[in-house]
Amino acid sequence: MLSLILKRLGIGVITVLAVSVIIFFGTKILPGDAAQIRLGQEATEANVAAMRERLGLDKSYVQQYLSWLGNFVRGDLGVSLASDTPIMNLISDRYQNTLYVAVLTAVIGVPISLTLGILAAMFPGTLYDRILTFVSVSLVAAPEFFTATLLVLLMVFVLGIGNAVVVGSADGKNVFQLIAHFALPIITLSFVIASQLIRMSRAAVLNVMSSPYIEMAILKGVPRRRIILRHALLNAIGPIVNVVALNLAYLVTGVVVVEVYFGYPGLATLIVQAVQTRDFVLIQGLGMIFCMTYVLLMLIADIAAITSNPRLRHPK
Amino acid sequence: MSDMKKNDPRYGSLSHGDEQQLFEMIKRGASRRDVLKYFMASGATLAASGVLFGSATKAFAETPKMGGRLIMAGDQHGPNDTLDPALFTSAVDYFRGRMYYGSLTRLTDELGYEPELAEEVLSNDDATEWTFKLRKGVEFHDGKSLTADDVIYTMNRHLGEESVSKAASLVTMVDRWEKVNDHEVKAVLNSPNADLPIALGTFHFKILQEGTTDFSTAVGTGPYKVKEFAPGVRTIGTRFENFWGEGGYLDELEHYGIGDSTSRLNAFLAGDVDAMVNLPPKAIDQVEGTDGKDIWSLQAGAYVNITPRLDMEQSSNQHMWQAMQLLQDRQRLLKGVLKGQGSLGNDQPINAAYFDHCPDIPQRELDPEKAKWHWEQSGIGSTPVPVVAAEVAPGAVEQCLFMQREGQKIGANFDVKKVTTDGYWGAVWLKEPICVASWNMRPTANIMMTLAFEGSAAWNETRWNNDNFNQLLVDVRGETDPDARRQKYCDLQTMIHEENGMSLPVHRNYVDAAASYVKGRSNVPLNNFGGAESPVTLWRDA
Repeated sequence: MLSLILKRLGIGVITVLAVSVIIFFGTKILPGDAAQIRLGQEATEANVAAMRERLGLDKSYVQQYLSWLGNFVRGDLGVSLASDTPIMNLISDRYQNTLYVAVLTAVIGVPISLTLGILAAMFPGTLYDRILTFVSVSLVAAPEFFTATLLVLLMVFVLGIGNAVVVGSADGKNVFQLIAHFALPIITLSFVIASQLIRMSRAAVLNVMSSPYIEMAILKGVPRRRIILRHALLNAIGPIVNVVALNLAYLVTGVVVVEVYFGYPGLATLIVQAVQTRDFVLIQGLGMIFCMTYVLLMLIADIAAITSNPRLRHPK
Repeated sequence: MSDMKKNDPRYGSLSHGDEQQLFEMIKRGASRRDVLKYFMASGATLAASGVLFGSATKAFAETPKMGGRLIMAGDQHGPNDTLDPALFTSAVDYFRGRMYYGSLTRLTDELGYEPELAEEVLSNDDATEWTFKLRKGVEFHDGKSLTADDVIYTMNRHLGEESVSKAASLVTMVDRWEKVNDHEVKAVLNSPNADLPIALGTFHFKILQEGTTDFSTAVGTGPYKVKEFAPGVRTIGTRFENFWGEGGYLDELEHYGIGDSTSRLNAFLAGDVDAMVNLPPKAIDQVEGTDGKDIWSLQAGAYVNITPRLDMEQSSNQHMWQAMQLLQDRQRLLKGVLKGQGSLGNDQPINAAYFDHCPDIPQRELDPEKAKWHWEQSGIGSTPVPVVAAEVAPGAVEQCLFMQREGQKIGANFDVKKVTTDGYWGAVWLKEPICVASWNMRPTANIMMTLAFEGSAAWNETRWNNDNFNQLLVDVRGETDPDARRQKYCDLQTMIHEENGMSLPVHRNYVDAAASYVKGRSNVPLNNFGGAESPVTLWRDA
């Protein structure tokens, strides 16, 4: 069990390093560099050369990468090439926006979705099940900006509640004020993750329901509700946690469209802006955060799958 | 030393009759330009007339109310937002710069200048030495008084090979700055430049405290103090009680960017923000039809163009580019794409928004017949002509598509390749034989033409190099006779119109929008939100 987790961690570290190399050289392939973009279209050659030297962009790629890596290992994320601001400052201005939205969406959206999905599995083929399936499939097909636009239209312009963009700062707000502050992004994202979670949890439970030991339980006359909640659900936890973890990773890393649409600065838009300004130091810093978030969530999902499944817990 | 009277805010040079005439004109709703033309004809200098107009119109303006807060939404912002004036790159930077800092001179709506931190600006006869007498009693936000050392420190950051200033090109003719005494500095030039005080009124020359190296906050002399600044997040300024001048009426002024134009519009219409930049053309009618929401549009010299490199084989054919100019459907681009928020371009950069605009050059029209003749002469036939375009500004891609369509009718085959705007200025612009560009306005015709049309200029897009033009561009900088000046500027613009090779179909206005209670909007046509000059004058009416 422990050795398995350590092995996973090892793979995680290697993954993070490999990703950092790919990100670094990927950034270098793009046309233009941070000095050129920072000084704009009207910079003279001399100005650009001076700026390149100041930012260390005149060194070889390998040197640039290694010096970044050396700092990173020591816990120093470095300084933005686009603005001379320490990366930590840029990130700290934004991470709470991303985190609040991700956590609140998870806390609100995940339990509701799972409950709906498991309910659908308990009563397969009923009208409720069909409507839910139809709605969640439709939601999968709707892109975030479409969902967001409909929500803004309905809530802001028809009902007159909420803001079309997230205005102001989240500082010093309690949980309920935060939910109000980020209402529309949270609802939009809840719809996005709900569609997947509902369908996956329903499928996972139904999948287990067709196995022999459940049949045995049914024959023994165990009530259906008890079968699902006690026997089936425990065995379906592995795949469900996996999907939940994937969706949580998306909430931290993949919410660019929602952040842009509602105009609140988070980490996802920051990486897009970092690419636009060719700020490889910032891209690397964010890439590491995203990659580690992802690896960590997958690790948790794997551990959950292992602990919930005796066959994995005691491998022969 | 002769006082050029360029910034004399008294009506001293006016007879009583002129003064009456001025007020009459303004009451009748005469534009700035009408007034300027009238007074220039009677021998007043441009800046003096500008000041006269400004002070006379202020008599008709409402009295600003103190208090309240406003949220002004810009567009693109990000981690490279800065409080270092030398590195400003975007409209949000410029706006913030005006909130927190001051400059030696302030640009007026008609692109003259008026005194700000320098209360007197003097020049020698051939405009090779400029003296700035600093206003006394100006305080920085930390209580320190403004002295000559602060100005010298600030100005030196824009000079020399090592400078990373974005505006270094505007002051290349400055050899050095000298301190005369604690409240007087002198710029010594290595060539005449009558426009120096105007250049120093632009975005990047905001005055810093001597020795400033930390730009996590801004300690300036502006009407607002930094309460909060996070790059790409937002900034909030609070009123600076010891501001030396008029302005800074709000308790708080908040500024940040909403990059997505649909979201920005939603936020504005929903009342989440009080004003927004760059109203999308398709939303103009909607905003005009909404009570309590105004369009804030400024006729400007900003433009999009198509530039053939005259020094490359594929694009040097004179008949080809003459045909391209005649294939521009300017009217349709202006009405259809810009929704009328702009003006017709005439294949030269200096339009009516500039003081030195030449109205005598005949407007070039869509003329397929003539274009066809040129195309036949060019011998290109149906060989594809690649044109690289990116959405760098409204109309940038459409101008190529319209040209392509008109071209098909005469047998010309323009192959329009659309590329992404990301990296465009580094990878495509100035490199491809034919591509598009987008230009903001510059404060003077001379600066604009020096930047992009002078033979050796780094951003001379077509590589057109005419010795007469280059020489005249330098000569006119020392020209003080109005008639001669006008003639010379007309000659310069005519040369570009006829020889440069670029197609410049439309100039676009800066089109912003504001709620009706947002008062004190400035109208300097150099950028959004009134040339980013409005922070000083904005106030909230209820």
